[in-house]
Amino acid sequence: MADPVDTVAPPAPPSLAPGLTYLRFLSAALRRSFSGSWRFYAWMTVLTAIALVGLNGWGHQLQQGMQVTRMSDHVSWGLYIANFTFGVGLAAGAVMMVIPAYLYDDHDMHDVVIIGELLAIAAIAVCIGFIVADMGRPDRMWHILPGIGRFHWPVSMLTWDVLALNGYLLINLHIAGYLMYQRYRGKAPRKRWYLPFVFLSIGWAISIHTVTAFLYQGLGGRPFWNSALLAPRFLATAFISGPAFVIVLLHVVRWSGRLTFGDGPIRTLTSIMRVTVLLNLFMLMSELFTALYTGGAHAAAVKYLFFGSHGKHALVPYIWTAVTLNVTSAVLLFLPRTRVDRRWLLAACACAFVGVYIEKGMGLIIPGFVPSTLHEVVEYTPSITEWKVTAGVWALGLLILTVALKVGLAMWTGKVRAADAPPMVDGAP
Amino acid sequence: MSGPTRRVALKVVGATLGAGAFAYAGRPVAQWAASVDIDDLLRRHYKELTADELAQILRRIEDETQKKYGVEVRVEDIPAQDGVSFGYALNLSLCIGCRKCAEACHHENNHDRPTNNSYIRVLEMQQGSFDMEHGTVDYDHAVPAPGKYYMPVQCHQCDNAPCVKVCPVEATWKEKDGIVVVDYSWCIGCRYCEAACPYHARRFNWRAPEIPADEINPDQGYLSNRIRPQGVVEKCTFCLHRTRKGLLPACLEACPTGARVFGNLLDPASSIRYVLEHKRVYVLKEELGTRPRFFYFFDK
Amino acid sequence: MSCHSLREAAPLPTSTAALDEFHQGIQFAHGELTCASCHLAGPTPSLRRADGERIDLRDAMVLCRQCHGPQARDYDHGAHGGMTGSWDLSTGGRTRNHCVDCHDPHAPRFQPSWPVLPPRDRGLTAAAPRRN
Repeated sequence: MADPVDTVAPPAPPSLAPGLTYLRFLSAALRRSFSGSWRFYAWMTVLTAIALVGLNGWGHQLQQGMQVTRMSDHVSWGLYIANFTFGVGLAAGAVMMVIPAYLYDDHDMHDVVIIGELLAIAAIAVCIGFIVADMGRPDRMWHILPGIGRFHWPVSMLTWDVLALNGYLLINLHIAGYLMYQRYRGKAPRKRWYLPFVFLSIGWAISIHTVTAFLYQGLGGRPFWNSALLAPRFLATAFISGPAFVIVLLHVVRWSGRLTFGDGPIRTLTSIMRVTVLLNLFMLMSELFTALYTGGAHAAAVKYLFFGSHGKHALVPYIWTAVTLNVTSAVLLFLPRTRVDRRWLLAACACAFVGVYIEKGMGLIIPGFVPSTLHEVVEYTPSITEWKVTAGVWALGLLILTVALKVGLAMWTGKVRAADAPPMVDGAP
Repeated sequence: MSGPTRRVALKVVGATLGAGAFAYAGRPVAQWAASVDIDDLLRRHYKELTADELAQILRRIEDETQKKYGVEVRVEDIPAQDGVSFGYALNLSLCIGCRKCAEACHHENNHDRPTNNSYIRVLEMQQGSFDMEHGTVDYDHAVPAPGKYYMPVQCHQCDNAPCVKVCPVEATWKEKDGIVVVDYSWCIGCRYCEAACPYHARRFNWRAPEIPADEINPDQGYLSNRIRPQGVVEKCTFCLHRTRKGLLPACLEACPTGARVFGNLLDPASSIRYVLEHKRVYVLKEELGTRPRFFYFFDK
Repeated sequence: MSCHSLREAAPLPTSTAALDEFHQGIQFAHGELTCASCHLAGPTPSLRRADGERIDLRDAMVLCRQCHGPQARDYDHGAHGGMTGSWDLSTGGRTRNHCVDCHDPHAPRFQPSWPVLPPRDRGLTAAAPRRN
C-alpha cells in the first residue's frame, strides 16, 4: 500500500514567491488526489458511481418537483433533513479529538487530530448537500447569502445555522490547510496562525449543533421538538456518532499504513463514548418519562413513534431498532472484552453509529410532524428518489473525506513536500 | 497486446465510460439548469422593486399565463389600505361542515385541481371536546352529523407569526393590514415555515399546480392568487386581491350558514368588532402566543 | 289573485295535521307555534304580528325577530346570515340573505347536506386509496 514519494521538480530557489509555493502546494495536492493504487481507484469509482446516481435522482427532482419525494404538507421534512441533522452531529463530534489534543494536551491525540478536522470538513459538505437537496428552489440559493440576498438574521434560526455551518467549514479548512501547508514547506506551524482558530473551532463545534437543535426546539407548534432537552441530546448523540466514526476511521488509516500512532487516541475516544452513550440513554429515558407519565397531547408523537397510533406504525420498527442498537453499544462498550478485542470495539462503534443515525434522523425529524399540527396522522416513508439522493450525498462526502485523508496524511507525514523543504526529523519538521 | 498499450487502452475505455456516465447522470440537472429563466433568477425581492420594475413583472406574469394557458388574466399588486386592519371570526355554533368555504377557496385562489388543494381544512370535532386528536378531516357523510361540531382552520394571520420569524430570506412577511403574505418569486422552498406554523396553514407546491385553462380565476394578485410556481410555499391571504378592494373573502361569500364574519378591526361599527365585543371569542392554541387575527366563538 | 277570492277563509286550524283540503303535506317543526301564530286568515296571504297587526309576507323578518331577538341583533350587526358583496360599505353594497332564504319557516332547522371537496392532498392519498 505504500505510495512512492512524490517528486516535486524542478528544485525551487528559496526566494520563491509565497504565492507560487502555494500554487505548487495545491497542484501537489491535486496530483496526489488523482493517483493511487487500484484499490483507491476502485473505491473512488464506486463512490463516484453512487454520487452520480444521486445526482441523477436530484435532477429528476429538480425537473418534476418534490412530488418525487414522499414528503407532504403534513410531513414537510423527511429523509434529507434527517440526514442533515445527523451530519451536523458528525461534524460537531469530530471536535472530541480536538478537545483532548489541545485542551488536555493529549500528545497521542495530537498526532491524529488532523483526521478529526478533515472529517469535520467532509461532514459539513454532506450537510450542505442535504440542505440543497431539500430546497424546492435551489436556483434561488443566492437569496440566503448575507449582503447579497435578504438574510433574515438574527430572527431566523436558519440564518444562524448558515453562519454556523459555513463558519465551521472555513475554520476547519483554515486549520487543516495551514497545518498541511506548513508541513509541505517543512516549517513548524506558528501558533498564532492556528491555535486561536483551534480554540474557536471548539466553541464553534458546540454551537453548530446547538443552533441546529434550536431550529427545531424553538417551534412552539411542535411539542415533540419543543423541549429544552433537545440541544443537550443533540450534543450527546454527536459525541457518540463522531467518536464512533473516528475510531473506525483510525483503524482504517492504521490498516492502510499511512500513519502510525499508538492506541492512546482510540482509548480516549472509547472513554468518551462510554460516557456519552449512557448520557444519551438517560436523556432519552427522561424525555420518555415526561411524555408518557404526563400523557395528553404532548405524548401523542412519542406514542406514535414507539407504539404507533390510530392504526399507523411506520416508525415503530425504526425506533426500536435504534434503541436496541444504542443499548447494545452501551453494553458492548462496558464489556471487559471490548478493551482487548478490536472487533468487539468496532462492533460497538457500528451499533452506536447506526443507532444514533436512526434515532436522530427518522426517529427525531418525522415524529415532529406526526401527528400534524391539526392532529392528523399522516405517515411518511422515503421514496426511491430520496434514497438515491441520500446515498449520493453520503458518497460525495466519503469522496471528499477519502481525498482529504489521502492528501492530508501524505502532507502530514512528509511524503509530499516542497523541493526546498528541510528534511523531516522524527516525523516532524 | 503489450503492457503499456493495454494500460493506455484501459484508460481510454475507462475515461470514455466515465465521461458517458457523467453526461448521462447529469443530463436532468443540465436540462433543469437550461430551463431556469435568467430574469426570474435575478429578480429582486418584492420590497426592493421600483414601481416600474413591479409593473413590468406583473405584465410578464400575465404574458406567461397567456402563453401557457391561452387565458387572459389581470395580475395586480394591490397595496394595503390605510386605516384597515383585518380580522375574521367564525361561529362554531353555525358551521355545519359542508366545506363550501374550502371549495370557494379552491376556485378563487387557482389551486391545484387533482389534490383538491385549499387553504381551509375543516375538522369534524367531537361534541364536548376541544382536542383535535378526536377530530377528522376526511369525513364522508351528511353534515351536520349528530354529536359533532365543525371547525374550519385556515391561516390565522398571527401578529406574532412563527412562519414569518423562521423564514431565512424574508420571503414571507406581515403587511400593515395584518395579512401575512409570501413572495412566490423569492421563496427558496425550504419549508421551515411549514414546520413552524401551528395551524397547518401553509402549503408547498410539490409540483407545478394543474388547473384547466377555463377554470382559471383571471382576477389575480401578485401576493395572493396568481398561479404559483413549482417548489414554493403558499398560504391564505384573506383573499387580499378582493378584500383590499373592499370585497368580502371568497370563503365568507360561499358560507351557507353565515358562520363567517369578516371586517376591519379598526372600525368600531364593523361586524367583526361587534362579534369581538359581544361574543365569547377564543383563538386556537392561544398558549403558543401567536396572537391570531382569526377568532372562534360559540353563541349557543 | 287569491285563492280566497273564491271562497271564505275558514278559521285557521291549530296544526298542519288538520289541513285536509289546502296546504297539505307541510312538514311542521317550529316549536309550539300554531298556524295562527304567524298567519292571518284573509283574502291575501299575509302575516300576523304578535299584537294582531297585519304585515306583508315580504316583511317576514319583522315576524321572526319577535321571538329570535339574539339572532336579529346579530343580523343587524352583520354577524348572522350569509352575504355577498363588500365588507367595506363605502365601496359597495352587500347582498344579505333573508331569514327564509336559509330557514324554512315551517321547519327552520338547517337541513343536513352532503359535504363537498373532500381533502385529497399528498400523504392522505398515499395512505388510503380515495373513495369515489
